[in-house]
Amino acid sequence: MRTGVFFCQTGDNRNLNIDAIAKYSANLPDVETVQILRLKPLPDLVFLREQIITHKLGRIVIAGDIPGYYKPVFTRAMAMAGGDTDEIHLASFQEHGAKGENAMDRAKAIVACATMGVPFPLAAIPGGNPVNHATLIIGGGIAGIQSALEIANAGKQVFLVEQTGTIGGHMAMFDKTFPTLDCAACILTPKMVSVGQHEMIRLLTRSKVVAVSGKPGSYRVKIRQSARFVDINACVACNQCAEVCPVRVKSEFDAGISLRKAIYIPFPQAVPNAYLVDEKSCSYILSEGKKCGVCVKKCPKECINLNEKDHITDIEVGNIILATGYELLDVSPIEQYGYGTFPNVLTSIEFERLTNASGTTGGRIVTKTKQFNRKLNKDEWVFSPEGVPPRSVALIHCVGSRNKKYNAYCSRVCCMYSLKFAHLIKEKVPNANVYEFYIDMRAFGKGYEEFAERIKQEGTFVVRGHSASVTMVDGQMAVRGEDIFNDRLVEFKVDIIVLAVGLIPSPGTEELSRMLGIQRDTDGWFSELDYNGSPTDTDRGGIFVAGMCQAPKDIPDTVAQASAVAAGVLGSLTSGKGIGHMSSVTLSEIEARAKTIHTI
Amino acid sequence: MFIDELDRFGAEDVQLCYQCGDCSTVCPHADEVYKFPRKSMRLLQMGLEQKLETTLEPWLCYYCGQCSEQCPRDADPGETMMSLRRWLISRYDFTGISRMFFKSRITEVLAIIAVALLTGAFLIYYGLSGGSISIYDGEGAFLPSTFIHRFDLTIGAILLVFLVLNAIHMWYLVMIKGTPFNVPWWLYLKELYQLPWHFFTQKRYADCEKKREHKVYMPWLLHLGLMLGYVTMLLLVMVFIEQLQAGPAILWRVHIFGYLASVGLIAGTIYFIRSRFKKHYIQYKKSHGTDWVFVTLLFIIVVTGIAQHVFHRTGLYEPANITYVIHLMSVVPWLLRMPFSKWAHLIYRPLAMYFSAVRREALMRQVSILNSYPVVVK
Ligand SMILES: Cc1cc2nc3c(=O)[nH]c(=O)nc-3n(C[C@H](O)[C@H](O)[C@H](O)COP(=O)(O)OP(=O)(O)OC[C@H]3O[C@@H](n4cnc5c(N)ncnc54)[C@H](O)[C@@H]3O)c2cc1C
Ligand code: SF4
Ligand code: SF4
Repeated sequence: MRTGVFFCQTGDNRNLNIDAIAKYSANLPDVETVQILRLKPLPDLVFLREQIITHKLGRIVIAGDIPGYYKPVFTRAMAMAGGDTDEIHLASFQEHGAKGENAMDRAKAIVACATMGVPFPLAAIPGGNPVNHATLIIGGGIAGIQSALEIANAGKQVFLVEQTGTIGGHMAMFDKTFPTLDCAACILTPKMVSVGQHEMIRLLTRSKVVAVSGKPGSYRVKIRQSARFVDINACVACNQCAEVCPVRVKSEFDAGISLRKAIYIPFPQAVPNAYLVDEKSCSYILSEGKKCGVCVKKCPKECINLNEKDHITDIEVGNIILATGYELLDVSPIEQYGYGTFPNVLTSIEFERLTNASGTTGGRIVTKTKQFNRKLNKDEWVFSPEGVPPRSVALIHCVGSRNKKYNAYCSRVCCMYSLKFAHLIKEKVPNANVYEFYIDMRAFGKGYEEFAERIKQEGTFVVRGHSASVTMVDGQMAVRGEDIFNDRLVEFKVDIIVLAVGLIPSPGTEELSRMLGIQRDTDGWFSELDYNGSPTDTDRGGIFVAGMCQAPKDIPDTVAQASAVAAGVLGSLTSGKGIGHMSSVTLSEIEARAKTIHTI
Repeated sequence: MFIDELDRFGAEDVQLCYQCGDCSTVCPHADEVYKFPRKSMRLLQMGLEQKLETTLEPWLCYYCGQCSEQCPRDADPGETMMSLRRWLISRYDFTGISRMFFKSRITEVLAIIAVALLTGAFLIYYGLSGGSISIYDGEGAFLPSTFIHRFDLTIGAILLVFLVLNAIHMWYLVMIKGTPFNVPWWLYLKELYQLPWHFFTQKRYADCEKKREHKVYMPWLLHLGLMLGYVTMLLLVMVFIEQLQAGPAILWRVHIFGYLASVGLIAGTIYFIRSRFKKHYIQYKKSHGTDWVFVTLLFIIVVTGIAQHVFHRTGLYEPANITYVIHLMSVVPWLLRMPFSKWAHLIYRPLAMYFSAVRREALMRQVSILNSYPVVVK
């Protein structure tokens, strides 16, 4: 069939040389014409129709990063020229992952398949390596937990590697989850316990992957497990050690709003349910055994060993799942909100801990109180259960998100959790005024819009307009903003400000991407193979992404993705076909395969 | 489309704005009645040309640049306000000349050259027909000061006609077309003091400083110096030209003003040129073509003005006369260009301040009249 290839490329594609691909496609069988269109915003309809008629084209291939965008024009042109509109094929570089090292070959293969009318995934099937039946999951948040349980329940071995002392991730820090306002712990804790007890799951906490080698189906992984200094099996979590420990540092689990000891348990429901010693603050370890050591003597089970060393474990697995989650953007450069200057400006995760019933104030929402710190000899602002409740609270959306200076992308969960906060404040401090400043309300999921409406009914002042100014007026903070719907400039006096801080990939993401050879997108999240078609695969065979580490998403989406990943892993284990490396398939292999499919 | 037209006046990034209002929040001049720049961005996005031409907001902005620094979308609201001012000048100008100038620098430069050549031809013709090039003042002078006085007054009158007509047009757009309620005449009297007050203090420009927390607000001082120098020069030339021209001895009680004004003009111009080169404040990041024409002309005027003064005082009458002709050749187009250029803001800004105060008062009265009526339900 006479085929015309049209390149519709907007902007410069990172590492694709369109001219070279065009030259390659000119030599493909049946190709009559190859044209590079640099037309803005859409190609000219009349021109296209003429091209179809003069070249007597029966098939059109639109090639580019987002060829689907141009399809309507080509369809109309084809219809006007009297051709078959079913014969318009897309060669999408983005969708089929033409990026990274062998982007050019991949792009050529994509065009070649399209000119033959063969779907790319049919032609580009990597050859199968035998698959090791064990799976490694990196990251023990809700994503890692869900995948681990799905795979383990199917009877397959799982290694779950978590860098902190407990699994649970961010979800363990929450009190309620939107939009159902279910208790987060009630959903998460049973899952955590099952992970801890499952015979098919080997849990490695305080561990990090330090090296990976091998090929899809058989990866050899080196894991460094930091010393815990407490015997997991013997510890009964009686807390006697922590009572005597003299060191106090900020609690990571409490987002820094409360203090913990150097020997501690992150939270009472932690899995594994055992204490651990923070080597960065323990006096005994820091002084190399010269000081302290009181906890060792106190422990009734004699399970503390402050001289324990890190150890390295080597494992071999067939598949790897990345579930490393996210962290919050550092807000201190965003000066206009006064974070760090005014004590009662909180980040979202700090507020999440404040309002949590197991938090430092027992879930009471209060402002900070001044306390004298004898060690530092100065006043400090701390949360205490006796604090005064706020008279009014401002919630500010999109702090560092959708902002060209910080994150250009939307963090996707902040609108919803800010609405959740508004509800929690109204519930716990009914006569407090709550002002919610937003730019666009992104309530996109099932029941979310209804949730947003409900919050408005509850008496929260939802202000359409962002704020960019927080000042101190007579000892109270004043938030200035523009109330766009009511055409007013507003200034509200508030006692607490909660910033909906943007989310970024967790710190280890870059290192892991290098170690595993996984691409990351421009924002730093792990790249999936194809956002629409295979959102959980990567272009390295046998490596999957689940949860936040792929892109911001909420818990329902995280869990769904984590289960989908488990299906992918189990499929590779049971299909008997083995798995290969997408990028290991060569251009000539794809060409040859496409030709056979084409002739059938 | 309207938004594309504004593009040519310098507002390039209006489409990027997603209406968050951060800019209005940080603007030191936005208040309950005049909320900007977000609202102006919105009107622009919606293409409400008829509404925009009646707004005063662009004039209330002094381009401190805080909004553009804050804008999460890099939509550059400050530059948009600047462009709106350029556009408004072209709107107030009923001749359409201003529009042409803003849109095409070539037209502007050609017009300037034409006026300069005409002026030069006329002056040389006049000078040669009655006087000698080697006499500067008095009997048989090349350009006697009585003639220059009349010449200046004529140019001044032309200038005034344009300015007054444009100002009336502005008043019509703003106060009649753009004010949907009655404005009592005595409000105009009551707020009249605003005109000289803003003209001579540029107080609102100084307000930008409050937020920026500078010790001495240099831009404001220099801007004030530039403006006062400009006005003093204008006065000297229009009214006291005969004393100014007398010589060669220096007449201190007149010339001292000339010197002071020159210092103000030079210092101001150098500062603003330097800022444009260095681009260290966000508001100087982009310069519209017409800004450069202005600066170049001003430079020629200042250099030739000083030169002819020096030549005259040192007895070099011939060079003095020649530089004087060049000086006037640049002064005349510069002056005539004023009502069509950014420099018309000298007039429009105080007027806008005056109108905005009147409109605000009228609005408040409106609100209180509405509130004072009892609400009779049955
Ligand atoms: C303030 C706030 C409130 C929220 N409220 C809600 C809500 O109400 N409802 C809702 O649906 N969603 C909510 N979310 C979103 C929710 O937190 C996420 O969707 C969910 O936690 C994502 O889970 P995850 O497992 O992908 O990531 P995480 O929870 O971040 O888990 C990642 C885990 O991986 C570990 N890890 C990271 N790097 C490594 C490494 N290199 N090696 C080993 N381990 C590593 C981490 O220690 C962590 O345990 C909220 C988010 C925020 C910020
Ligand atoms: S989810 Fe809402 S608050 Fe968060 S970045 Fe997106 S739009 Fe802004
Ligand atoms: S700050 Fe920028 S994006 Fe926000 S309203 Fe102003 S111009 Fe628009």
